Parts: sequence; C-alpha cells; structure tokens
Amino acid sequence: MWEKIANVDRRVIYALMILVIALALLNPIGMAIVPSQATIDAYNYIEAMPNGSIVWLGMEFSSGGVTELIPAAQAIIRQGFKKDFKFVCAGMWQQAGDMAEMAFSIVEKEFPDKQYGVDWVNIGYKPGGEVLLPALINDVNEAAKGIDHRQNQLSSLPLMSQFKTIKDADLIIIFCTGTPGEQQYIKHVTGPLNIPLIESAISVSVPGIMPFVQSGQIKALIAGMKGAAEYEALVGVPGPAMAGMDAQSFSHGLILLFMILGNIGYYATRNKKG
Amino acid sequence: MKKEVPLAICFIVALIYIVSNYFTGVEFLATMKDLLDKWYLSVDAIVVAIGMVNLAQIHGRRVANKREGWLFSLWLMLCMFGMFFVSIFWFKGTTHVGWNFMYNMIISPMNATVYSTLVFYIGSAAYRSFRIRSMEAGILLVVAFVMMLGRVPLGALLLGGNQAFASMADWLLNVPNSAGMRGIQIGAALGGIATALRIMLGIERGYLGGTGE
Repeated sequence: MWEKIANVDRRVIYALMILVIALALLNPIGMAIVPSQATIDAYNYIEAMPNGSIVWLGMEFSSGGVTELIPAAQAIIRQGFKKDFKFVCAGMWQQAGDMAEMAFSIVEKEFPDKQYGVDWVNIGYKPGGEVLLPALINDVNEAAKGIDHRQNQLSSLPLMSQFKTIKDADLIIIFCTGTPGEQQYIKHVTGPLNIPLIESAISVSVPGIMPFVQSGQIKALIAGMKGAAEYEALVGVPGPAMAGMDAQSFSHGLILLFMILGNIGYYATRNKKG
Repeated sequence: MKKEVPLAICFIVALIYIVSNYFTGVEFLATMKDLLDKWYLSVDAIVVAIGMVNLAQIHGRRVANKREGWLFSLWLMLCMFGMFFVSIFWFKGTTHVGWNFMYNMIISPMNATVYSTLVFYIGSAAYRSFRIRSMEAGILLVVAFVMMLGRVPLGALLLGGNQAFASMADWLLNVPNSAGMRGIQIGAALGGIATALRIMLGIERGYLGGTGE
C-alpha cells in the first residue's frame, strides 16, 4: 500500500485536479478575500491620482495571462472611470489589442456614457518589441503608424489630441506575463521620464519583480490572481478573480495533500527497504 | 577584410548606441539612435523570415527521411506555411474576418491551453520532487507549504481567519526571495555587459559564423 502512496500515477493526480477545479468553479463557497498591503498600495496610489488623469495601459500579455490579468485590468478600469480617467492602451505583445478590447468589454454595460476615442483608445499591438517604447516617447502617432486597433485614424480620435507622446501619461499601468515587460518600461520610459509605474503580473513572475518594487521603480504590484481578487474586493465589484480564488485554493490544497502523502509513502517504503 | 569590416561595423554601431543612451540632447546621436531603432525593426522582420527558412530546412529533412516524429514536423510546416500564405494572398491583413478567426479561435485558445496545462505538470512534479531526502529538501518543502497556503484564502480558512500564512509568505517574498533575485539579476546584468563588451571588441566572434578563434 505504501508503495502505491509513494508512486501515485500522474494521471490520477491530473484527474483529481480537474475534478477539484471544476467543482470549485461550479460551486464556489466564496472564501473571504483579505486585501494585502501591496494591493492596497496599488489601489491607494491610483485613488490618489487627480480626476481626469491620462493613464497608459500596457497590455503586455497574451491569452495565457487572461485569467490573472484581465480581472485586474477591469477592476482598474472601473476605478479609473469613476474618477474620469482617460485610458490609452497599446502593447508590444501580438494580442495586446485583443486583450485591451476584452478588458474594456465591460464599459458599454457599466459605463454607457464613456465613449471610444474620447475616454479611451486602443492603439493595439505595434511591432518592434522594446524599440517601440523610445518611438512612443518621440511621437505616438508615428510609432503607431497613425492607426488604432480598430483601424481608425488616430488623428480622428479626440483623446489623441491630448496624448501626443507617452510623456503625456500621468501614470503607466502595465499588465505583464514576461518579456517585453516591466524591465523595458523602466529602462526606456518610466525611469528616464520619471513617470510612476504600477504593474499587474502573473503569479510566476512575481518573485522576479519584487526587487523593482522594493527599489521604488515600480510603485505598486498587483500580484497574480490573488492580487486581482483583492483589487476586485477593494473596488467593490466581485468578478472572475474572486470566483477563481476558490478553485486556486482547492488546487493548492490538493497539491499539498499529495506532497504530504508522497512523503509519508516515501518514509514508509524507505524504512521497509532499510 | 572579410572579418575586419563586420567587426568595425559592430564596434561603431554599438558605440553609437551606448553613447546615445548616456548622452541625451546631442542631435547627431539622437538621430543615429532613431535610425538604428528603425533598422532594428527591419532586421527583426528579416530574422523571422530566416527562422522560417531554418525551420523548413530542419523539418523538411525530417519529413523527407521519415525520421521519428515526422508527422509532427509535417503538421508544423503545414500550419506555418498555411498561416503565412493564407494571410498574404487570401486574408490580406489582420482585419480580415478569416484571419481573426484563425488567430482568435485557434492560436489564442491554444496559447491559453498550453499555459493552463502547467497546473497539472506542477501538481505532479511537486508530488514527486518535494520529498524530504535531506535538510535542504525539508526547508524547501516547508517554504513551498507556506507559500502555497499564504497565496490563497485557504491558508486563512485553515487558521480560522488568521493571516499568519499570508504574512509569512509576504516575508519570504520580500526578504529571502528579493535578496536572491537581486543577486541573480545583478549577476545576469554584469554577465550581459561582459558578453556585449566581448562582442563589441571582437573577442567573441561566434556571430560571424566562425568558432570565435
């Protein structure tokens, strides 16, 4: 029996994982979300920005990061539109434009008075990787080749008359899953221009980002789905991240259970062999 | 001359780029930097084409010789050239409904699927690898335990609402993790500078196609 416990077939673990996640998603128990200091810092920083600020949203991720980053983006959009922020989005990742559209899909229903082109613009993906960022400092219109994600002329959008270069942003918020990401923004934009930077990152990237948070190069970090769920709680609109935390909790619980069982099996069989 | 000219070009271009990053406000340097950035975009596009040719050569040979896994190679080439030719000759741009369908309904979900399968591999790997075979492995297990409970509400639930796991996880992230990460990042940056200097000064010549000698 101990042999079996020490060597559970990985397919059993996979099947149980699917079951646990599915059950948690279908029947969430609504575990309490207590915001961490890091998320509170991000919320307070954005809340302290003057009404009507222009905020750059860097959508530096692809569909793999949707679950963790879109809820944070939507919570920030909700908070921002309540303060009459103007948002300009773009990204160095190929799906940046689609990700921005997905994040702003809540606007039509929740903020019917907010108009595309006046209150927010989705420039979308522009090629070049980190070379795009210095180009945005010179001239956004030229860097974007004059068109947005929806194929509108940027010059025809009222918001872009106030936003000629990325220097016009009062705050930069980026949503990242990897490279290019925060290091490129710090190097080319937020460091030299002294524009505050807030980041929402997927959980696996968080350990590598912490030194930039401690150095103050990133003002605040919304860490993974947990951070997104906490942000939803702070904004007061429960969303997919809060719902997803139950699934994440139970999947972590299952992994921990298997780690304990694996060690019990390991010691039982080791003593037997000894 | 075959080596000296590329080495000279590499040295001059690298020097201009480095100097233009440190001395802003000099018009000549700013113009050169803008120009080099535009060239970078062109080179970036050419590299994609070289990558396609390279992939086609490797996988084409595998298909021709019917080596192990040749069907996967065939599938890779069909997808790569399929998307390439269809985008250029049929859809003619990223706004076409067909292109959007292929991107948003095929590539995008596959991207998300690959990422989400990580949970299964991580679960299985954690079960197999977190065995207390030594004191170091034991410390690793305890840290993993605290982090996994501290990053989800389950930790507080198990302690009746107490945030002890979350506090410990935050400390681990902010103190030992940040110290280690900072060391790794500074080391990697110094390594990058050293490699860049070697390439710039012509000590490292692998990019010329030789052995560096």
